[in-house]
Amino acid sequence: MKRILIVDDAATVRMYHRNILEAAGYTVEEAVNGIEAIEKSLHQPFDLYVVDINMPKLDGYGFLRELRALDIPQAPAIMVSTEADSSDQVRAYAAGANAYHIKPVKPGQLLTQVKLLVGAAR
Amino acid sequence: MGFVKQHREPASALAEASTERRSFEVLAGELQHADPTVRRWAARDLTDCPEASKALVDRLQREEDNSVREVILSTLTTHGDDIAVGGLVECLRSENVSLRNEAIEAMKQLPKEVAPIMQGLLDDEDSDVRIFAVNVLESLRHPEVESWLIAVIEKDPELNVCATAVDLLGEVGTSAARGPLGRLKARYSGEPYIQFAADVALKRLGGD
Repeated sequence: MKRILIVDDAATVRMYHRNILEAAGYTVEEAVNGIEAIEKSLHQPFDLYVVDINMPKLDGYGFLRELRALDIPQAPAIMVSTEADSSDQVRAYAAGANAYHIKPVKPGQLLTQVKLLVGAAR
Repeated sequence: MGFVKQHREPASALAEASTERRSFEVLAGELQHADPTVRRWAARDLTDCPEASKALVDRLQREEDNSVREVILSTLTTHGDDIAVGGLVECLRSENVSLRNEAIEAMKQLPKEVAPIMQGLLDDEDSDVRIFAVNVLESLRHPEVESWLIAVIEKDPELNVCATAVDLLGEVGTSAARGPLGRLKARYSGEPYIQFAADVALKRLGGD
């Protein structure tokens, strides 16, 4: 079963994404900032990351840069943010994102992107 | 392995060892020093100089060392004057995500000082600044927090500003937020996230 890590400091957003992904059969874990996400990634591999930009301690850009520098199996990352500027998207891709979506993401939009990157849940 | 005596930069050693009170002019100069340790100690010692806010704010915008930024923000929070608060507000417009987040955390420590400008921030033309203002409200201990949040979800034209406020209303709101949450759901009836977040908030608030 595909495992996805949601990295976001907003509890409601994590819950919303979790509901969508679990309903489609994915296994979901959560991290509240980039530091916790790095710790979880070192502990166990994930098939995909859904990452917010604005987070305390270590933001989404910093998390992806650190993740991509780790000597662990790499997985694609979808960055989700309220920031719609093209410069934010450029920074996200430069940091290691594979896709960028502006919040709030609709359920179908998220699932389509997830399936494109990692396939169906099983 | 033989004992190796640690070498320290003279300026760092001087700054670390210094316990005597130095003038504002000296400290403001050291705030520009190449050595982060010197800048960090200068920022700390400027706590005793009420006239230092402008120098600290100017440095904050271009300071790249996290530990120095942390001390500058702490000193600005201690000063809490108009220049300090204005400098923190400017950080909300920065492209530097870390600096923005640090400014938000600092502003949360200044409820009395931030309260008079909060309405202005919530009315800012930049929707990102309005979102960050709502983030500041997250742990701003002030009696107006709920009414500010209710005004946001009633009036703000930007979906993501309302979404951020809804999350917080579920945590700090009272039954007074129920009506506005219902109206928000009606306003964004085709938006799944608002429906979800408002339902979560309403559930937390209790009642029917």
